[in-house]
Amino acid sequence: MSVGVEVGPRVAVHLLNRIGYGPRPGDVERILGMGLERYIQGQLDAPADPELDSRLRGLITLDYPISQVLTLYNADQRSIGVILDELYSAKVIRAVHAQNQLQEVLVDFWFNHFNVYVQDGFARFSTAAYEREAIRPHALGRFRDLLGATAAHPAMLFFLDNYLSRATITVGGRVVRGLNENYGRELLELHTVGVDAGYTQDHVIDAARCFTGWGIDNLSASGRFMYRPQLHDTGAKGVFGLNLPAGGGKDDGDKLLDYLASHPKTAAFIAKKLAQRFVSDDPPARVVDRAAAAFESSGGDIREVMRAILGSADFWAEAFGPGKPRTPLEFTASALRAADAQVSNGRAVVAYLQNMGMPLYSCVPPTGYSNRGADWINPSSQLYRMNFGLDLAAGAIAGVSADARAMVRRMGGDSEDPRSVASTISAEIFGKGLSPSTLAAASRVAPGGPMSVAARAAGVCLASREMQAR
Amino acid sequence: MAWDISRRVFLRGAGLAAVGVGFHPSSLLVRAAEAATAGSRVLVQVFLRGGCDGLNLCVPFGDSEYYDLRGAIAIGRGEAVSLDGHFGLHPALAPLKSLYDDGRLALLPAVGSYALSRSHFDAQDFMESGTPGDKSTGTGWLERSISKVPGNAVTEGVAFSAQLPRSFLGPEPVLVAQALSSFDLRARGWRAEAETLLRAMYDARDDVLGQAGRETFAAMNVLLRTPEIMAPPAGGAVYPNAAIGSGLRQAAQIIKAGIGTRAIFVNVPGSFDTHANQLPANSLEFTRLADALAAFARDLGGLMDDVALMVTTEFGRVAFVNGSAGTDHGSAHCMILMGGRVRGGRVYGSWPGLGRSQLYQERDVAVTTDFRDVFAELARAQLGIDGSSLFPGYTPGPGPGIFG
Repeated sequence: MSVGVEVGPRVAVHLLNRIGYGPRPGDVERILGMGLERYIQGQLDAPADPELDSRLRGLITLDYPISQVLTLYNADQRSIGVILDELYSAKVIRAVHAQNQLQEVLVDFWFNHFNVYVQDGFARFSTAAYEREAIRPHALGRFRDLLGATAAHPAMLFFLDNYLSRATITVGGRVVRGLNENYGRELLELHTVGVDAGYTQDHVIDAARCFTGWGIDNLSASGRFMYRPQLHDTGAKGVFGLNLPAGGGKDDGDKLLDYLASHPKTAAFIAKKLAQRFVSDDPPARVVDRAAAAFESSGGDIREVMRAILGSADFWAEAFGPGKPRTPLEFTASALRAADAQVSNGRAVVAYLQNMGMPLYSCVPPTGYSNRGADWINPSSQLYRMNFGLDLAAGAIAGVSADARAMVRRMGGDSEDPRSVASTISAEIFGKGLSPSTLAAASRVAPGGPMSVAARAAGVCLASREMQAR
Repeated sequence: MAWDISRRVFLRGAGLAAVGVGFHPSSLLVRAAEAATAGSRVLVQVFLRGGCDGLNLCVPFGDSEYYDLRGAIAIGRGEAVSLDGHFGLHPALAPLKSLYDDGRLALLPAVGSYALSRSHFDAQDFMESGTPGDKSTGTGWLERSISKVPGNAVTEGVAFSAQLPRSFLGPEPVLVAQALSSFDLRARGWRAEAETLLRAMYDARDDVLGQAGRETFAAMNVLLRTPEIMAPPAGGAVYPNAAIGSGLRQAAQIIKAGIGTRAIFVNVPGSFDTHANQLPANSLEFTRLADALAAFARDLGGLMDDVALMVTTEFGRVAFVNGSAGTDHGSAHCMILMGGRVRGGRVYGSWPGLGRSQLYQERDVAVTTDFRDVFAELARAQLGIDGSSLFPGYTPGPGPGIFG
């Protein structure tokens, strides 16, 4: 892969901002030293990260299977609060501290693509397992595997009601409706070919019929996938060009997933959404086409699609534009990294995200959170972001340790001179990209006062316009 | 109900006394006087996200087919709160009956879009842009509406929402807030310095983020300058502890403070996407909805004379119950209209019926009123604007005549 632009700090920052949650102090120098192509390869390989594992070790419920979560809940309902806290905390810690930044970005991307709302009944007990079993292993894998893992996961079966869906039958001349269209519709609209693909209401119904009988064995004990043949609609089905003869079983669903995963409209839909995440809100057709072609030629290998995007001129050209506005998660994680913060408990950060309109795992509609940066910009979110930056620099966020003065000194700046604080942050985090107005504002921090010069000047930088885009 | 300025000022004063907020009395009188002009009317849109079922909201108990179609999730003839002998409110909406009887609340079943989308996202997008079928519209219908109203203060349009709603998308500045009470910079010990520096920084930027920053400070200024915004609910109103409750409580605060707000959008995420086990979800959400609307009316008191509120959702649901005691995505929904400017006590529109041939695609309640006709009528009544050019590519009809 060729980067195709002159490599320097600005370009390195761009890469860190786009495939991860932004640079930590020292990162720019490090990846320039190793070479961007090697860094990208490492991100695509996503090797073990023992340091992250040790940070997560205290979160003991993260690996609990659904059955164990249910057992704990049945013994003491308060346990679910602890379990969800650990899930949320882990998400913040991973975003801030993972070496495999691209993997974390893609886990977030795919979770949101195959969204499940954590507070929805049984989803409380199964969302952690859903991310761990269905999303994370396939985030850089094959789309078909990802699609299949989500389709058969109890969290998805519950959230989109498929576990209740069964064949509509006629009993003594009377129609007994059994079908639930929810999953069938969202599978087409949100997960694969996209809302504009041209499918019809009849296709939605037949897609739902393919999955009748795909359910959950017991919602309050084991919570495992179970196929019940007696609930399956065995009639012939036609979905968007795929015709399935009568007499099928569970494999009706599998065949539909095979078909949809390899459909060109799916390649185009996924390519567009990934380009929107990594390139720009309205990505150029050229990079979308390139990513879609990689999707098709590789049989839906997400790594190859990422390689196509990262190898495009459009991706690198973005290094010199105004940037894509950050979502609240991207903003908080990036600000924490920029401040060289250590997160031991993410609970307080989770509360900020709630105020910014992006509570973790809590997007109610199946659509997921908006992938467009511009959708997150408004006076309210702006205020919460500024306050997060100010609180962070002040060291006032519980569970987070950040010391602006020590950070600036470590990077060779003069922590008592606001101008030096600002230029150090500009160099380490923005590739010297902080604007004159931001540098001027931070430099005007007055000496003395109740809080250190470094904390206040860093606060201005973290609350800046530049911090809000990537 | 007649406009009563003394009552209005009294209500404000009462609220202020209750919280002990100090203010210069003349500013209040000036604002009250300004508000007494024709330009004081306010439009409120409540958006229920998820596709709220219209058939269980405004129950057509007079149609025998309703009971065949809905089976176990039908609302019984005796349970529905009868409005006119044919339609009745869901029992959880009973608190709205007295508003209906007072002529301040109306129902409009069978409203929606003829260019149907059963996608949540698209249907919401189309309703909010006001251009069904066209995804390229760069502005929202409320943004276009307030752009025709003189002035461009940031608080002319207010959204209680985590994100800028599509309805307000466009160049007009809009205040988006989840909580008015915490709308301030948190820079303990150096707030003034922080504000000066951050303002200077955002003032110097002319892009989207710079503009949002400037709007943030403009809104902060208005809110901090108007402490009476924080007055507690008047008239003993109690709002439910839910998004609709906090949204309408704050909408009332903004209206009572008289800061020139003309359009308010209240975003309501909730359990409206009732694919399964619909009855408990309806009871929960309709209780919140009714309690919030009733509290809003009580809280505003005489100020309700200048307010018209509209409850919308992206689509209604299938006429028949599905296999999971729920309903899948359908077509027409039911609007609730409320306020002193509403000719209430009536069920509006043309009811298409629930016979098999009357249902759209043999499954959904058919649309008989284009939602844009209602939007245009509302904008005309509340903002005094000509609705004929409000929707690119569409000239609204005369509308059902709901607003006075």
